[in-house]
Amino acid sequence: MKKKRTIPQKIVAYVLYFLLLGFTIAVLYPIVNVFSISMRPSDRLLSTSLRIIPEGASFNAYKVLFTETPFLLWFLNSVIIAAVVMITGVALASTAGYAFSRFNFYGKKSAMVSLLVTQMFPPTMLLLPMYIMLLKLHLINSYLGIIVIYTSTALPFCVWQMKGYYDTIPFSLEEAARIDGSTRWGAFRKVVLPLAAPALVITALFSFMTAWAEYVVAAQVLQDTSLFTLPLGLKQFEASMSTQWGLYAAGSLIVSIPAVALFLFLSRWLISGLTLGGVKG
Amino acid sequence: MALLRSFDSERLSPSTFAYILMIPAAIVMFGVVIYPFLYNVVLSFSNMSLRHFKDWHIIGFKQYERVFSGKIFYTVFFKTIIWTVVNVFFHVTIGVGLAMILNRKLFGKAAIRTLLILPWAIPQVIVALTWRSMFNYEYGAINLFIAQYLHMAPVEWLGKPLEAFSACIITNVWLGFPFMMTIALGGLQSIPQELYEAADIDGATGWQKFWTVTVPLLRPVMIPAITLGIIWTFNNVNIIWLVSNGGEPSDQTHILVSYVYKAAFNLYRYGYAAALSMVIFAILLAFSLFFLKRTKASEAAY
Amino acid sequence: MNSNGNRRPEAGDRNIALTAVLILFSCFRTPMSGLRVPFSVLLFSVLISSCAKSTLEDPHQIVIWHQMRPDERVVLDWALQKYMKENPGIKVTALYKETEELRSGFQIAAIGGAGPDIVYGPSDQVGPFQVMQIIMPLDTLFSKEYLSKFNPKALVYSHGHLYQIADKIGNHLMLIYNKAIIHNPPKTMDELIAIGKKFTHAPNNYGLVWNYTEPYFFIPFLTGYGGWVMDSLGNPTLDTPAMVKALKFMKALRDKYKIIPKSCDYETADALFKEGKAAMIINGPWSFGDYKKAGIDFGVTRIPFIKQTGLWPEPMVSPIGYSINASLPAWKIPEVVKLIRFLLSAEVELKFTKRFDTIPTRIEVYDDPAVQDNAIVKESEYQMEVGRQMPIVAELRAIWDAMRPSYQAVLGGTESPESAARDMQKSAIEKIKEMNE
Repeated sequence: MKKKRTIPQKIVAYVLYFLLLGFTIAVLYPIVNVFSISMRPSDRLLSTSLRIIPEGASFNAYKVLFTETPFLLWFLNSVIIAAVVMITGVALASTAGYAFSRFNFYGKKSAMVSLLVTQMFPPTMLLLPMYIMLLKLHLINSYLGIIVIYTSTALPFCVWQMKGYYDTIPFSLEEAARIDGSTRWGAFRKVVLPLAAPALVITALFSFMTAWAEYVVAAQVLQDTSLFTLPLGLKQFEASMSTQWGLYAAGSLIVSIPAVALFLFLSRWLISGLTLGGVKG
Repeated sequence: MALLRSFDSERLSPSTFAYILMIPAAIVMFGVVIYPFLYNVVLSFSNMSLRHFKDWHIIGFKQYERVFSGKIFYTVFFKTIIWTVVNVFFHVTIGVGLAMILNRKLFGKAAIRTLLILPWAIPQVIVALTWRSMFNYEYGAINLFIAQYLHMAPVEWLGKPLEAFSACIITNVWLGFPFMMTIALGGLQSIPQELYEAADIDGATGWQKFWTVTVPLLRPVMIPAITLGIIWTFNNVNIIWLVSNGGEPSDQTHILVSYVYKAAFNLYRYGYAAALSMVIFAILLAFSLFFLKRTKASEAAY
Repeated sequence: MNSNGNRRPEAGDRNIALTAVLILFSCFRTPMSGLRVPFSVLLFSVLISSCAKSTLEDPHQIVIWHQMRPDERVVLDWALQKYMKENPGIKVTALYKETEELRSGFQIAAIGGAGPDIVYGPSDQVGPFQVMQIIMPLDTLFSKEYLSKFNPKALVYSHGHLYQIADKIGNHLMLIYNKAIIHNPPKTMDELIAIGKKFTHAPNNYGLVWNYTEPYFFIPFLTGYGGWVMDSLGNPTLDTPAMVKALKFMKALRDKYKIIPKSCDYETADALFKEGKAAMIINGPWSFGDYKKAGIDFGVTRIPFIKQTGLWPEPMVSPIGYSINASLPAWKIPEVVKLIRFLLSAEVELKFTKRFDTIPTRIEVYDDPAVQDNAIVKESEYQMEVGRQMPIVAELRAIWDAMRPSYQAVLGGTESPESAARDMQKSAIEKIKEMNE
């Protein structure tokens, strides 16, 4: 499979690098700006200068964040909620998606469509009845309520996504396993699931992110600062016409770290060698 | 665990097995969704508003009449379509494009991949506001860039309707492509290298390989993401609200959902907002059924 | 923020959740071995199904939703800590909610008969809350004798009943100037224009800045030309010669005299003033703390007199204070009233005034040196003398919403002041009708 790189291919490679570089800069610039806000003295969101390291820059906001605010507590709360939602999401979506991909049963199509249907109603208007429902179930100010809501928000995409990925895995692999004496469950677990690693990674990431950065529902459901998640906590630095932008920006940057770390950790399986490329054919 | 072991998947019929696999997800979904939905159906037939906040009652189809008789519904609907189409188009093309580049052998791609995921990872509020400041007429980075490198007149991004709407779209494209990129990266793993090699032997060009191998095999993974991407973008209230500061200038940058938000929580017109939400729901339902039928997404690829 | 040692069920909730996560992770070695998970999750869900009741029913907890700035919250926190020490067994939770969110969140909670015990905010929210009957009348809860200790401006009435008692009044716009640039602030608009021209020069230095995208900041100009937003019956009065003249004057400041930036929202104005690039800014008392922190030596004065009309520009004046949730059970009312009386005590009010130069509401406090010798408070009161009370009616919201589009269109150059005034009026009537349907 060793091919010599021809000159046009080299040009293509350069063009691609150039494109990537462009996008990377476009992605980084606003984030560098956020960093710049976090370093700026006296809470200015805006500045008339384009300097990245502002005049009088300091890491003070970061220090205050960790020493004078319950940031670490909010961080822990967010990690717990997002982790539970992630695990629940992966578990429920991997099984339901498999059912949709491999079996024909009564109501399959309408079930799949109704999953999508749940996403179509404008979420802002669902807030009111959702709140009343949680209130009646005594789930205000409790993590269970919010975890269930987040999971249900993430599931429709995750199930469809898993189903789509399972669809690309040939039936023949399970049939072979079944002939070797494996149960249905065993074939799914030992043969199909490992091959679906990239889809599981996407499901995990998506469920995690759904819970990690969510604000609107959390603001209505969690009413005690000691239960706050990160987005709620960050919002506490805000005030009409007097926001602590330094803290807000610093907090936002730190909030993105676990999400990026999770992506880094999971990308092993997202872009793994153990994929269909090696099995099919 | 014992429960799992005792559960003998062999004695079950295939469809019972399928139902069992599905039930946990189904319970969670319908437990959460049904009640709020029905509640809104009732509200949409009611007169709940500022003057009838606690003592509202059913008034029939009046709120729906109000929705359809106002001219504003049609213009905002039109803007919503543009908003959705432009956003999803760029999300998908940029996302898939970058994923394909990153799927090649490339020096430093792991680092770049991680950097490119950042817009998805960082909280939306702060970046939306950062973008807003980058669009500032006099001090914003974008106008300075335009003046310095493109030698063009600065654009009044946030003061004019069309420009402000474009500013919202640019911000949302920036925020949304990493998601599609991640999905596409995962999807590309399901394509066997052998298929490309076979195409090479047939003398296919890169473009032909893209359409005959990549696209068909990426489809099952991308279609759900695109369908939901369309629905989410249609219903995305945050970015419009933050970048255009609640519809500025002159309420010209609204899409349907930001209009719903305003009607319900700023003008206390709950009945009207619920009716408008039902209309949005119907639009999206009709669209999705059509789209799914065309793309055959609920059927198997093989 | 609420760091008293009471361990409450919710805290336990988190610990159980944490343990559960750890258990789950331990049976989740790789992303692919995950099928033990669904059952662990079910188990886990059962584990943490706690029963948290609405805090309104909790005799030991009082919840306040407020709109205080971060620096003010320090004082609020101090007051609450003191209160809790004096009243063991009561836990007071203060939660910051941004203006819009407080309104929408409180409406939603109120429909369910829940929400905070107390809401704290500017008087304009009293209008809609009263109409929706989600806050309760306070007339019978506080004695006449007690109420007589307050500046009458602090008592917010709507439809003949008391709904809010303020701890701060004013909250109005005024002219703030950078003393390092300007020594004698302008007394008239003509002087303001002259001074403004002197200090407007490239790059990015302006005589005057303010958030002119928002109609609230336009009110002083409207009143300076003799206009107002509504008549005594609540009908909008936007299509008037005063409106047209005021709009023309505002446009002239930018396009003819060129003393204000080409476009300027709150953040731009704020940044320019904090960077010392703007000589004057029109802003309210909420900004004082930030400007001190930014190291700006500033003075405060009235927005200058308009000779042509013989009128002072009148900013909107609004009290900020406490209201009580209408769903509060009767047995809990005395507890909540007691807390409000504490928060309205002379001691707490003075603390706020000393730190933030706000105008207190208890008459006995006015003779305190902290008020008497405070130049900013004095100037702020001087501006308030010509201020105009913000109407306590729900319709005001519709009027803002009607003004904003046309107002911004005039500034954007796409509409003439005359047609803008007409459009505002028409749209306001329409919106009020929609609101009252």
